[in-house]
Amino acid sequence: MMSSFAKPMTDGTARATRRPTRRKARGHVSGLGLLMMAPALIMLLAFFFTPVALTGVFAFTDLSTSTGIGRGTFVITPTDLRQLRDRGLTEDEALAISAATYSVDDAGLAAARAAGADAAFVDQIAERLTGESYEDQRDFERVLRDLPAAPRSPRAIKSAAEAFGQSVLNRRHETRDALAAQLDATAPDLSDAVRDMVLDASYTGAVFTTENFTRLATQPETGRLIANTALYVGATLSVFNVGLGLFLAIVLFYMPKPVTGFFSTVWLLPRITPVVLYTIMWKWFTWEDGFLPILAEQVGLPSFNYMKGSVVTAWMTMISVNGFIGASFGLILFSGALRAIPVQQLWASEVDGATRLQQVRRIILPQMRWPILFVTAYQTLSLLSSYEQIWLTTNGGPGKTTTVWALEAFKTALSNYSGNLEYGMGAAMALILVVVGLALSIIYLMIFKFGELVSRPKIEF
Amino acid sequence: MTRNFSTIPLILAITLVSLPLMVMYGFLILDTFTDAPPGELWPDRFTLEHWRFLFDTSVVGNVWAATGNSLILALSMMVIVLSLSTTAAYAISRLHLPYRRFFLAGIMVMHAFPAVTLLIGVFFVLNFTGLYNSMIGVILVKGALMLPFGIWIMKGFYDAVPWEIEMAGVQDGASRFTVWRRLILPQVKPGLVALGVFSFLDGWGEYLLPRILAPGSEMTVLSVFLNELIAADQLGYDFNLFKSVGVFYTLPVILLFVIFQNRLMNIFGGGTKG
Repeated sequence: MMSSFAKPMTDGTARATRRPTRRKARGHVSGLGLLMMAPALIMLLAFFFTPVALTGVFAFTDLSTSTGIGRGTFVITPTDLRQLRDRGLTEDEALAISAATYSVDDAGLAAARAAGADAAFVDQIAERLTGESYEDQRDFERVLRDLPAAPRSPRAIKSAAEAFGQSVLNRRHETRDALAAQLDATAPDLSDAVRDMVLDASYTGAVFTTENFTRLATQPETGRLIANTALYVGATLSVFNVGLGLFLAIVLFYMPKPVTGFFSTVWLLPRITPVVLYTIMWKWFTWEDGFLPILAEQVGLPSFNYMKGSVVTAWMTMISVNGFIGASFGLILFSGALRAIPVQQLWASEVDGATRLQQVRRIILPQMRWPILFVTAYQTLSLLSSYEQIWLTTNGGPGKTTTVWALEAFKTALSNYSGNLEYGMGAAMALILVVVGLALSIIYLMIFKFGELVSRPKIEF
Repeated sequence: MTRNFSTIPLILAITLVSLPLMVMYGFLILDTFTDAPPGELWPDRFTLEHWRFLFDTSVVGNVWAATGNSLILALSMMVIVLSLSTTAAYAISRLHLPYRRFFLAGIMVMHAFPAVTLLIGVFFVLNFTGLYNSMIGVILVKGALMLPFGIWIMKGFYDAVPWEIEMAGVQDGASRFTVWRRLILPQVKPGLVALGVFSFLDGWGEYLLPRILAPGSEMTVLSVFLNELIAADQLGYDFNLFKSVGVFYTLPVILLFVIFQNRLMNIFGGGTKG
């Protein structure tokens, strides 16, 4: 006891002398603080900021599986030429580029042997014609036919001749200059402008372009995606997250404790069930031979795969799948807010003879304005960006009728079965979501302020 | 409260809206140990054969290996989230840092920001660093995406610790680090437990990241394992089997939730005063 009385005395003097130094210490940066922040900062930098930056950069490229993520090569394909024709490449120029020359060299001889030409014939070609070169296939074939060992069939001659053909088409070059050199050799008459255009088009790697956004702005599918997203977010929010959540919270508020406990547990389950099991349960519930179709059959209603069988039922399923989780979130949040209402207000109203309905309308609902606004803002954000449940249930089907923006972005970039993942396009769609998400989160932080945000339960469970 | 209203119609109403959930979860449990004739709703016989997958790897593959992988994912992610957010939150809450307000605002925005939209960018990062298709990459990403939440929660707990405890320690000559480790950490233990359980559950239930960022990985986690079952089976679904695997997968979640319910509500409720 004595020591604890004695201590403040010495502490008092110590504090008096230490105060100036302490203030100075607060003035400069805490090294320990930086050290303690560093690991978290590095992680956030790597997996939060860099992805945002990369999304921003790659949104302006045409990066895809076919361009590859690394550096590209230079190759002119027949497809390139066909596309260039729309951009002013003339027929003659295209022919000049795709023209082949025929020169007899080791590579050609090897190719001819591999193509199954007669060995004696090939030897003779090597012996008499090595080093020769021909512009035209017909000239070359005539020379070949004149050789003593030439086969009889024109087909064999033609295929032998083709083995010596060299075209600029379909040949991969590491650098632009290498391709340019070969192009000059094949088609020396091209004008510089045309030559550059062809070389630009030949690059297989990703290039910077604003095409993704032009495509998004012009294609009719964008409109449908936006409409789908609006319908999905709007319906889920109004019917389930706010509507059902508020209804449950208010009803349970008035119920006897066992009833409240039971239903609170039931409604907590969708939140804590892992998403895969939760979606399997919905599949069982709505799939053909599942619960609802069997029930419908027994009472004589149309029975089919409700999850994917028709547009209307697919929408209802998809909204319910997300909505039951959303209602659960709403219920937890609204219940907390209801308990915060001073109970004296309710007692007073009862003394004055208010009915339950009047109580709800005049006392409870007006005080629920902020929680409702919060649920709406917060859940708009998560509904806009979440697609896991949709992906695992309707998968955007039937057709693309239940595809929302986030799901489409995800599928474009990371998960489609056509084999060509369009990273650039997906990044462009994601960038729009990122911008909307950032704007919304900043706005709602400003509305709800720091303190407001953390004083209430705001966890998605 | 007085009862100047009738409870029965309201109970009926909430029962009605809760019916889908009650049916789904009721049959989830029921179906794991019964069988129903095709085209019927009600089971007519008791059986344990749906649980055969626990011992017989020929039924669905090795469920224990997947369980181990899920455990690794959830535990390592929990360790990352716990260690990084306890240190960073302390620095933000109590130590003098340049741009402290900026960090705070940034973490708040990140906390609110829907991280799923970053998945495409994360895919690039993993590709460039060579972590694509590895469980380490998934663990790092999952941990990082949960950090803003973790830091925010822990900051709330630190803020609630009285200054006097720290002052006492510092005046007794302890360094700030020792003070944090010996005096402050025990004070925020409820927060650590809640955040730990919470991040474990989050890692355990995660499906998207392992599926997308490590599709070719040898380490299949339970969520991916379970979904592959249902995706692989083209002919009629054996929902009872899926449900049994699903219940097996979800049991730890329920268990943890029942044990730690009050501590988890700490996060929901008063523990996070800003």
